[in-house]
Amino acid sequence: MAQTAENIHEKYPLDGAALRLATDGTPTLIGLECADCGTRAFPPAPVCPECMSENVRDFELPDSGSLYTWSVVHVAPKGWNVPYIAGYVDLPQSVRVFAHIVGVDAADLEMDMAVTLTTTVVGEGENGTVESYAFTPAKG
Amino acid sequence: MREVSVIGVGMIPFAKYREKTLAEIGWPAVKAAIEDAGVDKKDIEAAYCGSALGGMMSGQRVLKQLGITGLPITNVENACSSSSSAFRQAYIAVAAGVYDVVLVLGVEKLTKFGGGTLPLEKEDFEVTHGLVMPALYGMRARRYMHDHGLTKEQLASVAVKAHKHGAKNEDAQYRNEVTLEEVLGAREIADPFTLLHCCPSGDGASAVVIASAEKAKQFTTKPVRVACSEVNSGKYMTGFRDMTTPEITVRGAKQAYEEAAIGPDDVDVAEVHDAFTIAELLYYEALGFCDKGESAKLLEDGDTSIGGRIPINPSGGLLSKGHPIGATGTAQIVEVVRQLRGQSGNRQVEGAKVGLTHCTGGGISGFDHGACSIHMFSV
Ligand SMILES: [Zn+2]
Repeated sequence: MAQTAENIHEKYPLDGAALRLATDGTPTLIGLECADCGTRAFPPAPVCPECMSENVRDFELPDSGSLYTWSVVHVAPKGWNVPYIAGYVDLPQSVRVFAHIVGVDAADLEMDMAVTLTTTVVGEGENGTVESYAFTPAKG
Repeated sequence: MREVSVIGVGMIPFAKYREKTLAEIGWPAVKAAIEDAGVDKKDIEAAYCGSALGGMMSGQRVLKQLGITGLPITNVENACSSSSSAFRQAYIAVAAGVYDVVLVLGVEKLTKFGGGTLPLEKEDFEVTHGLVMPALYGMRARRYMHDHGLTKEQLASVAVKAHKHGAKNEDAQYRNEVTLEEVLGAREIADPFTLLHCCPSGDGASAVVIASAEKAKQFTTKPVRVACSEVNSGKYMTGFRDMTTPEITVRGAKQAYEEAAIGPDDVDVAEVHDAFTIAELLYYEALGFCDKGESAKLLEDGDTSIGGRIPINPSGGLLSKGHPIGATGTAQIVEVVRQLRGQSGNRQVEGAKVGLTHCTGGGISGFDHGACSIHMFSV
């Protein structure tokens, strides 16, 4: 499904510059890469947290990584679709990303399992459903 | 730097005071600490107030009730470490010789937010994506269970121990003992946690009066010495970090033990930041009370219960005594000072001479914690 800039902003209000969608809907996470010291971080920011350089550029994060840990959240502020699985995903090149884990029964999750980037509906906002990036177990 | 002593402590029972204002919650704790110290309110040269969510001028709002005004009042916000950070500022001022007698208070009213999980900073990226505190600790717990073979039953037994202690504390929010089955069977919050794995939301206040050791002699023959005072911020890490090792506490403990010239084996009693069951176990290890991976055994052996080798959280801790965020740091100091004075009644740690308080605060993206304070006291 094609996404215009406007409806990306409306449907993905949480992600801002941290998420890009291709015209076919394929998501890519964007981090910061410092041109001076090489530090990488997520989400993107206008200044390097290591050397304070503002000479930073967007960096396309790998779309697959490993699940460091997770928790099934049953109680959350209004607006979230509970229960949901919250997790930390370690991507190659040493970036850790907080994400919802979807498309899997919590009982089937395993530590350090391979996961891959997707998008999902996470809750309800003023403008309808709220979507965000998420990770799901890699196939095969 | 001068020696500094605690000369007065006071607190109110932690509870839900929905009908009271922050000022009404706060003043009785302050009055109790001043009376305990035996000082006149005119002796107090400065005040430091810790509150995370109390709003502007929390200290002034509380202290005007007692007519303690016109002196320098500084309000300190550092999440759960707010009043312990306020204590640190007061300590520095007295140690440096700026003031002789200073008041520290912590006050919080969480019932104004209704119930549920603590409201976190909405500008934080992970918070906007659904990170809540129980989930953050729940993720630590899951990883620890995987890495070190901790069982759900062992984890739940932290809450059983906390309530056993808290049942003896008239200032505790929950004074009921709980069974392992009750902990395991309670309502799910964020796995592996049920409700009883999580500290309750509530209101409270606590206060401490400190003085230079020299000045303290005027007021008391039993001062409690401040052996060290540490406050750190977390290190921002963008990549991999081991969530089973609370780096800020490990770092702070090393500094604290060096500053106090006291080792973990010398500590007789400690109040640590058990906001969730896993936290207490992680802090046994981080504070050097046992080796990595050995915390469940330390608990099971009864070492951390009253009567054991190193009783932890004799007050009931955050899990049972309650956790009105900004009031927690000074309430831990109240407990340890009373323990060192031998005033803790049926939960007294016999012969306690050295006590430690530890308080971490704040779930922010990329940090183990935003802040961590460690204080040690001796008699
Ligand atoms: Zn840089």
